[in-house]
Amino acid sequence: MSKEGEYRTEVTPVWCPGCGGFALLNALTKTALPNLGIPRHQTLIVSGIGCSSRIPGYVDTYGFNSLHGRAVLIAQGAKLANPELTVVAIGGDGDFFSIGAGHLPHAVRRNLNVTCIMVNNFVYALTKGQTSPTTPYLQRGEGPFLSFQFYPPVDPVLDMVSYSVSTGASFIAQGIATDVPHLAWLIEEAIKHKGFSFINVLTPCVTFDPPWLFKTIKEKASYLKEGEPVGLPDASKEQPWLHDPGNITLALKLAQTPVMEKPHIGIIFRGKEL
Amino acid sequence: MVLGSLLQRLAASQGYFGQMPRYYGPQIRGGASGVKLSMDTTRASVPADTVDIMVCFNWEKYAELEQELPLGIDSIVFYDNAPPKEGISLPERSFQVGFSEISEELTGKTSAKNIVALGLLERILALPENLSESAAAHDQASALLERNGAALHAGKRLLPEFPFAELKLSPPRDATARTVLHGNSAVAQGAIRAGCRTFFSYPITPASEIMEEMQERLNHGDGVFLQAEDEIAAVGLALGASLTGAKSMTATTGPGLDLMTEMIGLASSAEIPVVIVDVQRCGPATGIPSKSEQSDLNQAVYGGHGDAPRVVVAAYSVKGCYRLLIESFNISEYYQTPVILLSDQRLGQTTVATNSDFLTKDYSMARRKRPGGEYQEQYQRYELTEDYISPMAFAGDKGLTYQATGLAHNEKGRPSFDFATNQSMHEKRWQKLVPLRDRDDLVKLFGKEEVRRGIVAYGSSAQFVLETVEDLGLQDEVKVCVPELIHPLPRRLTSFVGSLEKLLVVEMSYSAQLYHYLRSQIDLPSDTASYARAGGLAFSREELSGPITELAR
Repeated sequence: MSKEGEYRTEVTPVWCPGCGGFALLNALTKTALPNLGIPRHQTLIVSGIGCSSRIPGYVDTYGFNSLHGRAVLIAQGAKLANPELTVVAIGGDGDFFSIGAGHLPHAVRRNLNVTCIMVNNFVYALTKGQTSPTTPYLQRGEGPFLSFQFYPPVDPVLDMVSYSVSTGASFIAQGIATDVPHLAWLIEEAIKHKGFSFINVLTPCVTFDPPWLFKTIKEKASYLKEGEPVGLPDASKEQPWLHDPGNITLALKLAQTPVMEKPHIGIIFRGKEL
Repeated sequence: MVLGSLLQRLAASQGYFGQMPRYYGPQIRGGASGVKLSMDTTRASVPADTVDIMVCFNWEKYAELEQELPLGIDSIVFYDNAPPKEGISLPERSFQVGFSEISEELTGKTSAKNIVALGLLERILALPENLSESAAAHDQASALLERNGAALHAGKRLLPEFPFAELKLSPPRDATARTVLHGNSAVAQGAIRAGCRTFFSYPITPASEIMEEMQERLNHGDGVFLQAEDEIAAVGLALGASLTGAKSMTATTGPGLDLMTEMIGLASSAEIPVVIVDVQRCGPATGIPSKSEQSDLNQAVYGGHGDAPRVVVAAYSVKGCYRLLIESFNISEYYQTPVILLSDQRLGQTTVATNSDFLTKDYSMARRKRPGGEYQEQYQRYELTEDYISPMAFAGDKGLTYQATGLAHNEKGRPSFDFATNQSMHEKRWQKLVPLRDRDDLVKLFGKEEVRRGIVAYGSSAQFVLETVEDLGLQDEVKVCVPELIHPLPRRLTSFVGSLEKLLVVEMSYSAQLYHYLRSQIDLPSDTASYARAGGLAFSREELSGPITELAR
């Protein structure tokens, strides 16, 4: 069993103070990896390009900060060649939902035992605040947003959580960067799950997101607990149902709830294992 | 194509060498297709410009391929059914033979017309009696013969009507059965021989046969085969596998190589071994997918942003495809660099009947430099060593964890924007490849050393050059250099060019990419000519005899 300190390198993160990236780093190195007891050398973390993709440099396992959008490819290749490895792909919303979006459904259908963690901060932060596919849709003039307040996003959000459900990913979860213990638990469950697992981590960008964005998400967040009623948007007239992570139809309903209305935190779907 | 394949294999089983390029168009199924087959007693020569014998089943389809399969006035033609309409002038010795009719009479369908024709050709060429029977039962193709024995015999009985004693083949040098394979198959077999057990690819003409054969071989062994969602994925998967120590590879053609470009830069920067085969076809864009060209040289040598060194090798024969694929892995593993093996459609899809010794002989295999025990505490993935090659730990190795990155990095692999470090890491990645320039074995020289007139050609074009020089009887006046190592530039090529007063560079690239590459690296003789044109139509001996005669003058 490795001790928690052994999972961090000496490198200081480039992230802004208060960045959600620290939550993931802590969840991984202080809790999930030590709890799982996987030896450092048996772990490979592959990332893309972006703020969150700097993470392999901070975790003392095998790591590769690769190309924008392509982490999941390198992760799968490594897993195929050495099935003994625990392989984690980490990237941002730009990585997985924009430039590399075409790879995700194929990773899902191949269903290799790889864990994919998307650090979703709703913005292109490394390039200083451009809209991403997950940036909430706003009408022009609908309040200040990002550094490009005069050019708010005009395209609807690409809802890849729903997409992951509809393409049949075998494990889908949503975490929130403000709750590190819960995020760590999700990561542990995802890594333990035999098959392709996808975690969307709702993450604030303290520099480019307007403060109300994450404040809303945090306020409206509701935790999913198996067998208990699910939270629904305030405007919903529907009767809350009991959460059943084995039910793909209910999982799709959860995933389709707009994140600004009712972000569901927890395991959205857990299918059959390999 | 069926007729050609069967005839080539039957002849090969008797000891005949030969080449059979394929000609086909953009059809999905059916459409125009043809082959040209040479049969030879000593070596697998490039088929002559015009054929001795032609069998034509459909003149309309022939018209589509006429540029590639021209008739000579001495050609003997056997054709099915109706004579050609206007536009095609038949040579004197042309015969209408009811191949389809005979087939239908005997088997109830016309599809055995190939077999009837095979029987006729066997007799005309005086291939040994019962040859087809003896070769039968070898495999699927031969089983086809067995099923159609009646058609075959009917074809043989046609002979008395066409007595062509002069077409009788000389006996083969010896009766050793020759192996029949194309360049794409040689690449796949070379990969298996080299120990490649992880292969990722995306279907694309004319490289798909490599993927299909690797699928067949790896699915029946202990390997990993995966058809990726695109070429970016194919090479990305290969890099991932390589991180764990696996010899990994992908195969594609021009458009796929374009998509792989960013990953090639990453492999160069993060020093990850990977082998990429490019079976070149006509570009740019979609170009002519089923026809050969040599216009990916720039992309292979220079493709991508930044200064990203890689190694480019090029095969010019089927045997070379096999040997150089093994060598590509050797170089890639030893130097921890991406290696691009250039083949081309002509080389990849021409089946060749040849000696099989190259498949069984010994090849040396290079390995990656690995960290020893002393590294446990202070392992540095990109340590600056005397030969610039750093020991590489495999993901999974105990005690040697490291973090690689496409960012500028220091010896430890940490992102570093220190400019001196950046400079020294560039130096490391470029300098480690310099010893390759002394690989004389990867530059083939033909002809007399003292001669001052020479040709440089690579890939399948080199075959045409070598044979044309011989046909013209100019072996004593013109020497030929066929570089198999293209980049980094081998010194042996430089000294070959340096020994010349007159140089001719022959290639199938409209913009003369090889010529310009050489010009950028070597002081070429003032009397240098470039013979370069767009691909599609294969070179002919007649075509090349012009510039080669001019060179010798």
